[in-house]
Amino acid sequence: MRRFILPVALLLGSGASLLVGLAAGQEHDTKAVNDSAASAKTSIQHDEDSDRVEGERRFHANCGRCHQTPHKFPPRMMATIVRHMRVRATITDEDMRLILKYMTQ
Amino acid sequence: MQGVRMAQWKSLAALGALAVALLVPSCYAQSQDSSQAADPGPQTSDSAATSGGPVPILSVGLADNTFFEGGTAHLHPLVSPVVLIPLGDNWLIESRDTFEIDLAPEPGSDGAYKGYLQKEVDYLQLDYIANPYLTVTVGRFLTPFGIFNERLYPVWVRDLQSDPLILPISTGPSGAGTGAMLRGGFNVAPSVEINYATYFSTLSTDTPLDSDRAAGARAGIYLPGPRVEFGGSFQHLLQDDHSNAFGFHFAWQPPPIPLDIRAEYARSHNGSGYWVEAAYRLSQSPVWQHALRRVQVVGRMQQFLTGTVVDPVLPGANTNMFEFGINYYFRDHFRFVSSYGRQFAAPAGGGNENVWTLGLTYRPTIPLWPGGGKQ
Repeated sequence: MRRFILPVALLLGSGASLLVGLAAGQEHDTKAVNDSAASAKTSIQHDEDSDRVEGERRFHANCGRCHQTPHKFPPRMMATIVRHMRVRATITDEDMRLILKYMTQ
Repeated sequence: MQGVRMAQWKSLAALGALAVALLVPSCYAQSQDSSQAADPGPQTSDSAATSGGPVPILSVGLADNTFFEGGTAHLHPLVSPVVLIPLGDNWLIESRDTFEIDLAPEPGSDGAYKGYLQKEVDYLQLDYIANPYLTVTVGRFLTPFGIFNERLYPVWVRDLQSDPLILPISTGPSGAGTGAMLRGGFNVAPSVEINYATYFSTLSTDTPLDSDRAAGARAGIYLPGPRVEFGGSFQHLLQDDHSNAFGFHFAWQPPPIPLDIRAEYARSHNGSGYWVEAAYRLSQSPVWQHALRRVQVVGRMQQFLTGTVVDPVLPGANTNMFEFGINYYFRDHFRFVSSYGRQFAAPAGGGNENVWTLGLTYRPTIPLWPGGGKQ
């Protein structure tokens, strides 16, 4: 009986260490994935913020060229108005995109 | 035989050059679109940026002004509906009509006011956004000469309610053309934008759709950093005496302060002249800031010099004029307007007189589609 104790103990020990290692690895992987997702989320958030700041700047620069800066309209109306102003005031495609994004947030 | 062959080669070369000129920008635009499509960042289409896409809308410019010219009051109510109908991602139908009455005391009567309703189709056009650099427009459009006619004309936009003296130069009998137009705006460097418009208009004598037969172009450079724009316009009349006209425009909104400075110069055989306007919003006033932030003060100086051919819609004599105005914004689209101006002219041009203006301007905007007003 005693001769089985050592192998069983070794087996259990190695199994336990394997499980702990796997769990640790999984935790590490999960953490890495979480870190990566958080990093991507932060990056997207950063892009969103910089787009919003740039959109606001272009909104004031372009719309203020002719009239007082207007209030925000509902998004689907805003899309029509910005398309109209793109034609009327010959604002650029990039300006239109950023202004629309700012005005519909 | 040799001449015919040479002419054929020249035609082929011209066709090839035209094809290259048309295809290269399209291919470049397409490659840019593809790269933007691969980029998970900002969306390019206004439909994609809003769930459900753009909806038709109605925006109405309303004004009720009273002009006191040389001691005579003119009541001038005006309604100007704008209808915008987007189609798909690249099309837009847009129109603006103006209905106005100039009510003035009838000569010989005991103060009874009389006036006629004037109707005008300012524009009724179909726009096709071909690529980021080009929009093709057909129909009736505002003549792109200078900046006032196209951008500053609506009653809720203009800072002073009277038209500049030189406005009729090159904008035709109604300020509009009937035909086709190519226009657009694009960046040539991160801080330099170019905008352009070129058009051909045919003769139309049917009121309220009248227009001259003419061709012309306008180009401008906009510097977003200092917010400066300058440019020039040219028009060649394709009827009567086939005369030319040209003009220059300038606009500056210095970023740190709420000041608008705009100016235009125009010259044709009907006359020449300029206007310079400055408008300052008192939102940065160090005193009474809460009360004054809605107040705007405006000043305009202008001069008109007669040309070799008389145009009845232009002053009949050399004219100088200055105007000073105060506007109060209840909201960005609702305001009280007032101004005082003094005109200096020979009797043929209306003589010396004071011009006072009092009024209200309002611009409501509503969706013409169910659900279009949802936030």
